[in-house]
Parts: sequence; C-alpha cells; structure tokens
Amino acid sequence: MIKINHEKCVLCIGCASVCPFGAIELQGTRMKVNPEKCKNCGMCIRVCPADAISYAEEEKTKKEKAEAKE
Amino acid sequence: MKYDVIVIGAGPAGTTFARITAEKGMNVLVLDKRKELGEPVRCAEGLGRREVDIQGLILPKEVISTDIKGSRIVSPSGHELIWEDEEATGWVLERKMFDRWLAELAVEKGARIRTYTRVLDLIKENGKIKGVIASHQGEESYEIEADLVVSAEGMESIIARKAGFKTFSALSEVDTCYQYEMQPYNHRNLIELYLGNEIAKRGYVWVFPKGKNKANVGIGIGGHLTNAVKGGSLKGADPKILLDKFIKQSPELKDSSTLQDFGGVISVGAPIDEFVADNFMVIGTAARQVDPIHGGGIARSMEAARIAAGVAAEAKKKNDYSKKTLSEYEKIWRKGPGKILEKRLLFRKVLEKFSDADLDYIIKNITQEDLKDVMAGNFFRPVMKLLKGNPGLLKVLGALIS
Repeated sequence: MIKINHEKCVLCIGCASVCPFGAIELQGTRMKVNPEKCKNCGMCIRVCPADAISYAEEEKTKKEKAEAKE
Repeated sequence: MKYDVIVIGAGPAGTTFARITAEKGMNVLVLDKRKELGEPVRCAEGLGRREVDIQGLILPKEVISTDIKGSRIVSPSGHELIWEDEEATGWVLERKMFDRWLAELAVEKGARIRTYTRVLDLIKENGKIKGVIASHQGEESYEIEADLVVSAEGMESIIARKAGFKTFSALSEVDTCYQYEMQPYNHRNLIELYLGNEIAKRGYVWVFPKGKNKANVGIGIGGHLTNAVKGGSLKGADPKILLDKFIKQSPELKDSSTLQDFGGVISVGAPIDEFVADNFMVIGTAARQVDPIHGGGIARSMEAARIAAGVAAEAKKKNDYSKKTLSEYEKIWRKGPGKILEKRLLFRKVLEKFSDADLDYIIKNITQEDLKDVMAGNFFRPVMKLLKGNPGLLKVLGALIS
C-alpha cells in the first residue's frame, strides 16, 4: 500500500492521472488512496513532482530502523 | 428533472461546452467535484490568443495577469532565439479568475453549474448511458438523467474510464512538473524556455511573466525518467530538485522569493483512440487533446469543446445521440487540430533525442521564420537548412522529413 504525505502534497492530481487502477482520487482537499484498488505498482511514486508518495512499508522500516538505533 | 446534457468538470473544456450548448438552447448541467472553481491552480497559466479570438471572447482585465509579446528560447550554453510577432502573442492568466469567468459566462447563457458535486458513476440501462450518479459534499448519492454525458474531467478522467475509454497515460507520455510563482523577476513579456538535458531531461524549464515583476518558474521532465532503483526502493523523479538547481544558478532568480508552490502532471502524448460512444463524449485534457510540446491544454480544450458543442446541438435537433451522430465531432477534430498535434508529437519525439550540442547548434542557426514553420508542422525547409550546415543532424532530424 502506498502512503501520501499530505504535508508535501501539492494536490496536482498527477498520481491519480497515472494510476492504472483508478485507486487514487482527490477527496475534498486531500488525495485519498483506495486500498482495495491499489496494487502497489508505484507509478504514482515515480510521477509525483513533490516526492510526497512512498510505500507505507518502507516508511515503517525506516521508522523501525530509527527506533532500533535509539 | 432530466437534462439534455450533463458535463463532468467545470474547467475551460466543460464550461466552454456548456456555454455554447446552452446558447444553442440545450438544457445543460455542469458538475464539478471541487468546492471552489479554478482551485487548485496547477499550470503555467499561458494562453495563446487564437482560440479566444475564434470564439469571439474578450478577456476582462481581472483574468489577465500579463500580456505575452512572444517567446524566447535559450539553448544549453546560452544562445537565444526570440520569436516576437502577432502569432506568438497571448496572455499569462490569473487562471483561477479565468476559470471562474468562463463558468459565469456559461451560467449567463443558461447553463447550470453545481460545485462540490462528485460524479460517482454512470447510470446505465441495458448498457445505454442514461445519466450519472452524483453526490454533493460526500452525502447520499442521487441519480440525474440526461441524454448526453460529457467527460471534461481533465487528466484523471475516471468516469470516462468507466464508460470504457482508455484515458490512462503511460509514464513516458506525461511530464511531471513543479513550479513556483516568484517575485521579483524583471520580465520582458516573453515566455522563456530553457532547453537542455542537464537542465531538464525530456522537457524544459519555463519562465512565464506574471503581473509587473513576477514569474511562474517551472520545470517539466519525462515521467519515465525517474530515479527509480530496480528491485529496490522507488524514488520520485523529483523535478523540484532540478528546478531548485536552475534557480540557484540564475542570477535573476536566485535571490527572489517564492509566493506559491504548484505541481502537476501534463500529457505530452497522443490523444485517446476514440472520443465518443453512444450518449457520451470526451473533450479536452480528458481526451489528451493537449499540445505534446509544451503540454498546454487550455486553448486546445476550448477548441475541442467548441467543436463538440456544435455537434451536440445538432444531435439534439435530430434527437439522436448515437455514437454515429456524435462521431462527427471526432471527425472534425482529427482532420483539423488532430493533424497539427500529430506533427507536433513527431517533433516532440525528435526534440527529446537532441544532445545539448545539437540544441546549441540548432538554436544558434535558426530564425524566427524557421521556428514558425516548425511550429506549424512545415519541417522541410528549416530541416534542410540545418542539414546543409550540419549533416550529422540527419540521424535525429531525418524523422521529420521522411
């Protein structure tokens, strides 16, 4: 599953335009990922101009690593 | 209540279509998922004057940020080519105000617009499209019937996909863009483009004049040219990094402030395979009717909307919204604008093969007249001229004259 960093997101909707599964949509003032449709292909990550999308698992691993260091 | 036509999306394509069809007596409803029309702005806001003149529109002062007198193209080592004539003129818009103005014109002609209203799906009866299912503000959904549904949804084009259109763009067919509005910048009312493989892979940096001393400074790079590591973690193309680098090296911009950040993904590929089905049309950026060289979509969207609106009005007269009747729009478009965009797509594909040395040579050696021919798709004369001086360019330029 991918994760959108809403602080970095500039709401350009680029991710939604390249998502082959229609899994990302603008809802109100936020991009939302539909976990049932997302297939983890990463197209959105590659095209995001604001570096605001990542794999949720990666984020978790980074966090775990940081915690392990402490 | 049943409408003649429901338009999805109140951008320039949707509101232009609504204005013209309403004027021709159709009962039109435009739905837009956004709370506020024109927001968020995600483009460089440039518009050439041609289509505006054709539609007989006069832009009010408040939608214009500044006038454009021409273009300035800069090669990797700083050679410049300036194109200043009637054909190169236009405006940098206050895009939000512009979208709002087009919407208000449509309403004045009798169209009805509903904001914050998301179209969730199409109503189909025995496979025939009969309207849409919508929801205001995320609340309980309801059905609205119409003879014709028009997707003017822009890049996402989700409902067009539900209607069976292949509106999905491959990464190589899009540019991913980042842009700042910056001040001060002492512009000369020129659209400035900086080319080069170091500056922007498969793309360019643009500096569009805004107001008195501001500019939209942006970058677009090929969506497939990302820093992704195979088998490892994915990393975005991050055009922002390249843009920041450009600004840092620009004596005129390095100390300027940023007033706003924008992002965007633009289509630089071909239009979709088909624009119409029974009771359904796709117009504008949703159909990828976008200039493949600069990704500009406003004028092309308004143009397609104008053509489609004429055909829709005829369909109402005949009370026949079949694919066959609606396909007249597709025929007219492919014969006219489609031909031009095809040539420009070919040129874009050649452009992306140029090395920095090629770009330096070409920009140093072509004139405004040559550039005009190239932009109009008449490649032969300028290409022959370049080959005479530099036969080595045949490898990349050959595709334009074969």
